[in-house]
Amino acid sequence: MKKNLYFDVKKCMACRTCELVCCVGHSLVKELSKAIKEKQIVLPKIKVSANSGKNFPITCRHCKDARCIDACIARALTFDNEKKEVIHDKEKCVGCWMCVMVCPYGAIRPDKQARIPVRCDHCIEIGEPQCAKSCPTKAIIFKEETGD
Amino acid sequence: MKHIYIIGNSAAAISAVESIRLHDQESQITIISEEEYPAYGRCLISYLLAGDIPESKLNLRPADFYQQNKVDLLLGKKVVELSVKKRRVTLDDGEKKEFDVALIATGARPDMPEIKGIGKQGVSGFRTLNETKELISIATFAKAACVLGGGLIGLKAAYALKKRGLNVLVIVKSKHVLSQVLDDLGAKMVGRHLEAKGIEILIDQDVSEIIGNGQVRAIKLLSGKAIEASIVIVGKGVKPNIQFLKESGINTDFGILTNEYLETNVQGIFAAGDVCQSFDLVRGAAFINALWPNAVEQGRIAGLNIVGKNLKYIGSLSLNAVEFFGLPIVSMGLKKAEPGCETLEASNGKAQIYKKFILKDNHLKGFIGIGNIKNSGIFLRMIREGVDISSVKNDLLSDSFSYAKVMDLFGKDGLYSNYQEQK
Ligand SMILES: Cc1cc2nc3c(=O)[nH]c(=O)nc-3n(C[C@H](O)[C@H](O)[C@H](O)COP(=O)(O)OP(=O)(O)OC[C@H]3O[C@@H](n4cnc5c(N)ncnc54)[C@H](O)[C@@H]3O)c2cc1C
Repeated sequence: MKKNLYFDVKKCMACRTCELVCCVGHSLVKELSKAIKEKQIVLPKIKVSANSGKNFPITCRHCKDARCIDACIARALTFDNEKKEVIHDKEKCVGCWMCVMVCPYGAIRPDKQARIPVRCDHCIEIGEPQCAKSCPTKAIIFKEETGD
Repeated sequence: MKHIYIIGNSAAAISAVESIRLHDQESQITIISEEEYPAYGRCLISYLLAGDIPESKLNLRPADFYQQNKVDLLLGKKVVELSVKKRRVTLDDGEKKEFDVALIATGARPDMPEIKGIGKQGVSGFRTLNETKELISIATFAKAACVLGGGLIGLKAAYALKKRGLNVLVIVKSKHVLSQVLDDLGAKMVGRHLEAKGIEILIDQDVSEIIGNGQVRAIKLLSGKAIEASIVIVGKGVKPNIQFLKESGINTDFGILTNEYLETNVQGIFAAGDVCQSFDLVRGAAFINALWPNAVEQGRIAGLNIVGKNLKYIGSLSLNAVEFFGLPIVSMGLKKAEPGCETLEASNGKAQIYKKFILKDNHLKGFIGIGNIKNSGIFLRMIREGVDISSVKNDLLSDSFSYAKVMDLFGKDGLYSNYQEQK
């Protein structure tokens, strides 16, 4: 089953803890005080944005028919059929920004310094999304997909 | 059992194979390609020329892709004729092959102008891996290169050769580089950026002759001036590969004309990719937007229609994302306002930031982003889906613009459905 991130917008207070733990979780040392001293500062792959009094964490939703995969000229973006996730291979990526140009949610942003797209990988390295784990109001939930 | 022939072996072809095989394991599939390589990332040849990536990174699929998908691969063979009546293709070695269904995915080739000396060694289009390898071998001992044409291909070539340490001069016929991709202000910004990085740009000029004894030594400008160069790259647009269809009875214009199912006027013969003149969403007319994502999407739809899915292709639009020396650029749809259009724009020349939206009757028709390209996928969607954006017009230029501001426009789509209010 595909797991995905869900957001209970009523509970989101826009405290941006998710953004912070996302950065730390993707840093080399995985510790805030040291992470901010790393040469390549990691950008958050989730961003909270407000509209009409509600807060919306915006991040990659690992679309099944992902437009970013079609657009990728380097075959750096692929769909992992087992995990049901969009995988990005940094080694193959050439930083052309085609994926940024086609993401229907604006959930892929350019990291101009690192020349790679910033997008959610469900914290593949750590094993569980740090945003969901750390959200103080439990507004971010990582659970099995309920169907598109 | 059906025998499907795919002519061409690139973005459109590969994507077609994958969608056919999702539904049909039985039919025989044969791919014929003039190039002798398994499918590779054509858009990556400028990175290869620059020395940014090794050749091994060009592979689009694992080595066993064709075997896994039960595809007979005929490499290094060119289709020289297609007979609709006999449902048969003739190869350049004289061999004839019969098909039940065909997909023409032959792409395009550089449009080489008729300039004296264009055939000299060192003068090249910039389209294939072989051309790139040849260019790399010359570039290792060359000092100077000229690029004819200031479009995306020309500038990508210029960027690559500059990164290799050559002196590069780009000769542009019009008043600006990227005249098809950007408006004047955007083009000036990018032009200045390239010049600051050491690429010379000569506007309002053209080449009258290529000089050299077998090997190019210099180019001669219309003004009469000669400029030394041991490499000349021609980036003056592309032409669809349709020569072999001349007598076939398949309808062509600039490219192959298809209906909305990407089928030609001949039943069971489809076209996709750079060769296919399908529908342009913004122009509202048949047009080729020769781009990688369009080729992939068209290949998929043609493939699915080959297995009888009857899918309509909504059309393509002009679409570009590129980066030159740290400056990201996105452009889509209209670049210059037409009569009756409304323009919203903000620019900061010093910070190298430019954003421009072109609207018609409160519908987005075009977007240019330089320096800041965030959210451009949302703008693309606005154009593709043709939504009325009057309610969010004032947010477009704002730094706090995001999907949250516009999600109601698109109905309950993918990400929207992930916003759930729990009890
Ligand atoms: C340097 C460069 C950079 C690019 N960068 C980008 C980019 O950043 N973004 C983007 O969207 N697009 C980019 N493009 C455009 C993109 O590469 C094309 O849109 C895409 O390759 C089209 O794919 P296709 O499958 O239609 O055909 P093609 O890739 O053109 O392939 C067609 C194949 O068919 C073969 N063929 C042709 N005629 C015959 C015949 N008669 N018999 C047998 N085989 C034949 C050809 O040899 C070729 O191998 C770039 C192109 C170039 C050259």
